[in-house]
Amino acid sequence: MTWSELSLGPGTWVLSVLAGAVLGMDSVSWPQAMISRPIISATVGGLLMGNPAAGMLVGVVLELYSMRHPPFGAARYPDTGPAGLVAGASFAATGGQAVGALLVAIVIGWALGWLGSVTIYVRRRLNETIVSPAEELAADPALLEQRHRVAIWLDALRGGVLVAAFLVPSVLVVTLAVGSGPSELGRFAIAALVLGLAASAGAAARSSAFGVRGWPLLLVGAGVALLLILGGLA
Amino acid sequence: MKPLRSDQLAAWSRTFAVQGSWNYRTMVGTGIAYAMLPLLRRIYAGDPVQLRKAVERNMGPFNGHPYLCAMAVSALGRLEMDEVEPATMEKFRTALRGPLGTVGDRAVWGQWRPICIHVAVLAYFLGLGPVWSALLFLGLYNVGHLGVRTWAYVVGWEAGLGVGKLLKRSWLETWSGRLWPFNIALLGAVAMLLARSLVEGAGVSLNGTALVGMGVIAGLIAFRFPRQGGRVAGLLLAASPVLWLLGALLG
Repeated sequence: MTWSELSLGPGTWVLSVLAGAVLGMDSVSWPQAMISRPIISATVGGLLMGNPAAGMLVGVVLELYSMRHPPFGAARYPDTGPAGLVAGASFAATGGQAVGALLVAIVIGWALGWLGSVTIYVRRRLNETIVSPAEELAADPALLEQRHRVAIWLDALRGGVLVAAFLVPSVLVVTLAVGSGPSELGRFAIAALVLGLAASAGAAARSSAFGVRGWPLLLVGAGVALLLILGGLA
Repeated sequence: MKPLRSDQLAAWSRTFAVQGSWNYRTMVGTGIAYAMLPLLRRIYAGDPVQLRKAVERNMGPFNGHPYLCAMAVSALGRLEMDEVEPATMEKFRTALRGPLGTVGDRAVWGQWRPICIHVAVLAYFLGLGPVWSALLFLGLYNVGHLGVRTWAYVVGWEAGLGVGKLLKRSWLETWSGRLWPFNIALLGAVAMLLARSLVEGAGVSLNGTALVGMGVIAGLIAFRFPRQGGRVAGLLLAASPVLWLLGALLG
């Protein structure tokens, strides 16, 4: 693949940054409609590059990985909105076919998700200053509204900046992996990814289960899927 | 003065932004006051001193599931309208924090969201296009999202101080208990279909039976030891592109 074949132009970049801002806001600030989930954000990334299916594939893998980090209480979890968009767009921009590129895009998405979680932490610290002092805001409710909205816009800015900073480098890195064809070690790479997904699914299932019981249900689901595959239905 | 329907609608719509200024000092406290403002402005119309006091007491530390915070917003608004003692309101706020977080986390983050994701991913693997699958998730999930948010707001306003009892025996708790078996079975199916899709697209020859067997063992061990299983999953994820690129470089 040559640089001129990439589907990432200036217009697409701007659209991606704007989408990143909206996705960045969604997970915490507004409106929590879950457009920030990887299956949406990565599909949006793919769609912007003209290949939503490539984005969706990245999104499903990231989804299975991020599912074991539910935002219970004060738990840390990956910020999957901008990260999913960057990963999905990177894979789609490079053709959405090469497995090496898929693997690199997924890892970039995962790493960027955790970087995003650090930026959320920083923003929350910043919010302490934005909504202080309490007495001043209570005396002027309009000021309270204004500061609250500023905090929301900052979250949008955070998401946009993440996409702006990482989209092009991510596409370039993923492009480097496009030409890497299957090899003997490639078998181990795919096996590692599949086993990692299985382990992640097991851990994610436990966070939804009421206690340790319920493990046979994982097998039932996998068995039904296996039957669908063998029957040619999936 | 009793809030108008338009005030209620404005407060409800502001609950979507209740976590907008989340911080480690007051958590969602400022967001609660922000969402309550349309109600407070009507209740204390023409009395800026009482309005200031009401805003100040509702800006204090608070936390809860963001959708169920709608219940706190309307219930606290109701207490303000009913001129309940500030000390009682403070006790009520404190008592409400735990249940709003626990019930919401278990029902929405623990069950409803994963189930909607699994259904959409299954639909994708069964042939629905990527955009339609994504829209299916958004549509399905947000029916539940809007339903819970609206229910929480309405119940909070109607029950006032009684929401704590209502929450303990609410349909959300019942449904969490009923949904989790489906959730886990769907997750097993999604993992299997995704693994098949990755193996087929990779263009490498793998012993399918051995891989399925090892995957089942890895999944079950991770279910029993989720923390360690999660770490292993992360390591395997990081290792896979490294192995692939190494293989390409070496030959």
